Amino acid sequence: MRILRFLLISFLCIIFKAQTLFADEAKMSKGLEIFNETAGCAACHVLKAAGSEGNIGPNLDTVEGLNYDTVMDIVTHGLGVMPAFGEDEILTKEEIDIVSFYVSNSVSK
Amino acid sequence: MSKNKTKLNLNRRNFLTGTATLAGIAATASVVPISIANANHSEGKKGLPNFINWKNRDALIVHSDKGIETHRSAIGESLITPNSNIYIRNNMPTMTDKQIGDRKKWKVSIEGVKNPKTFTLAELQKLGHATMATILQCSGNGRGFFKHKPRGSQWKTGAAACVFWTGVPMKTVVDACGGISGDAVFMTSAGVDHEPTGLDPKKAMIERSVPKKVYKDAMLAWEMNGVPLPNAHGGPLRMVTPGYFGINNVKHLGKVAFTSSESSVKYMKKSYRISPIGKKGSQYPSCWEMPVKSWITRPTDETGKVKAGKVQIVGVAMGGTKKVRSVKVSVDGGSSWKRAKFIGPDLGKYAWRQFVLETTLSAGTYNIASLASNGSDRQPELRMENRRGYAHNGWKDHSVNITVV
Ligand code: HEC
Repeated sequence: MRILRFLLISFLCIIFKAQTLFADEAKMSKGLEIFNETAGCAACHVLKAAGSEGNIGPNLDTVEGLNYDTVMDIVTHGLGVMPAFGEDEILTKEEIDIVSFYVSNSVSK
Repeated sequence: MSKNKTKLNLNRRNFLTGTATLAGIAATASVVPISIANANHSEGKKGLPNFINWKNRDALIVHSDKGIETHRSAIGESLITPNSNIYIRNNMPTMTDKQIGDRKKWKVSIEGVKNPKTFTLAELQKLGHATMATILQCSGNGRGFFKHKPRGSQWKTGAAACVFWTGVPMKTVVDACGGISGDAVFMTSAGVDHEPTGLDPKKAMIERSVPKKVYKDAMLAWEMNGVPLPNAHGGPLRMVTPGYFGINNVKHLGKVAFTSSESSVKYMKKSYRISPIGKKGSQYPSCWEMPVKSWITRPTDETGKVKAGKVQIVGVAMGGTKKVRSVKVSVDGGSSWKRAKFIGPDLGKYAWRQFVLETTLSAGTYNIASLASNGSDRQPELRMENRRGYAHNGWKDHSVNITVV
């Protein structure tokens, strides 16, 4: 009985983990698409993982301490010549979430 | 996190035609010619980007390839900051030699004067010649101390330098054009570094208006600390607005106009406004005059533990647009203050002065602070909270903790 329960829980855990992995994978490829195409971040930023070579803003692989929150903040509000993708409704909330997830998990990789 | 191997093809055509969302940033992201954009960008030796691989890596803190700060202890050992140690803050990519072309033929047009004219650099060099020292300081120097984490580079003290400029006084140029015409209120300077990017000038042009009176002490500079103005610092020609924040010292200068209203570009109307946290807009003051400020450069937590006994506490102090009059130093977090001595030559009110306080410290930990005054204003204890983390001159955040053994 105990063993059965253990197996069941392990099984559920594996499924759950696989599911999030799958979800993350999907988010990453959607994020790449937003970065390079929908939002055009690529035109202004180097990001090795995305193969982008823009040189208007900083090379994102060289920016210290980038995380989900800092990317989300700047993508929402913009800075200098960088558009305010959130405030000006260039991207949806969901797209901003996805591209921030993508960038923060791609820098220096 | 598994790495995503797919690389989407950057299709320029796709960019240009765009989708509905792209329309919103039309003429910004959509028209950046990638090949030009990347011209001087590849990473060079020593972990510095190529366009500044001649700089001294050890003197610098790299926040990003476009935001590079001078270490606190790499400022102030002599009055003038060597070019190799000077910070980099770029709003537009630095122009390349190829984009600049023959430096002698670089053009700047002067407008809002009786006889508008375009001068080449060679012509300006025949018109007049002067040298002056000023402080170049990013508006956001000290942003790293703000607790609300404003966006942008987290500078502490090192987005500042004291520099010798050589060039022609703006006043000489104005005189050569028959004087300022009627109703001008501002001197408006524009760079051309946005041009190679293809971005919309309204959003990307660095055009800055300052009060007209600034022209009296301003300079069109082609030399920085004895060498031709490096591209990375705005070469071959830059506007120098003494006492005003870095952004007003427009790089890669293409135009100076005396105007009746402020420039309407984003970098004037929206950016560089000192607004309360959570508020923004062009009704708030622009980053213009720098306030009185000072900080200690030695000893600091960067320079390691200090030996008990006689200690020289060294730093730099600036008065903003007025001459700095005095500096006091505290070794007990501001409970008591002693007057420091100015050392080295006085290079005029727009340069900073070095100061030193000799004192004796026994083993222990100390919080050392400096407090400058220009006669009318003195540094406040606390920072003036503001949305973007500009113009910080509070003495408390700029203090350093040292250990004496
Ligand atoms: C038109 C050019 C442009 C586009 C398009 C653009 N950026 Fe930027 N970005 C910039 C510039 C310029 C800066 C630096 C702003 C400053 O410091 O004044 C910047 C800064 C940043 C930073 C902060 C770097 C730091 O030093 O803290 C991040 C992160 C960033 N961009 C991500 C993105 C993402 C993600 C996108 C797409 C959703 C994007 N950018 C689109 C120009 C652009």
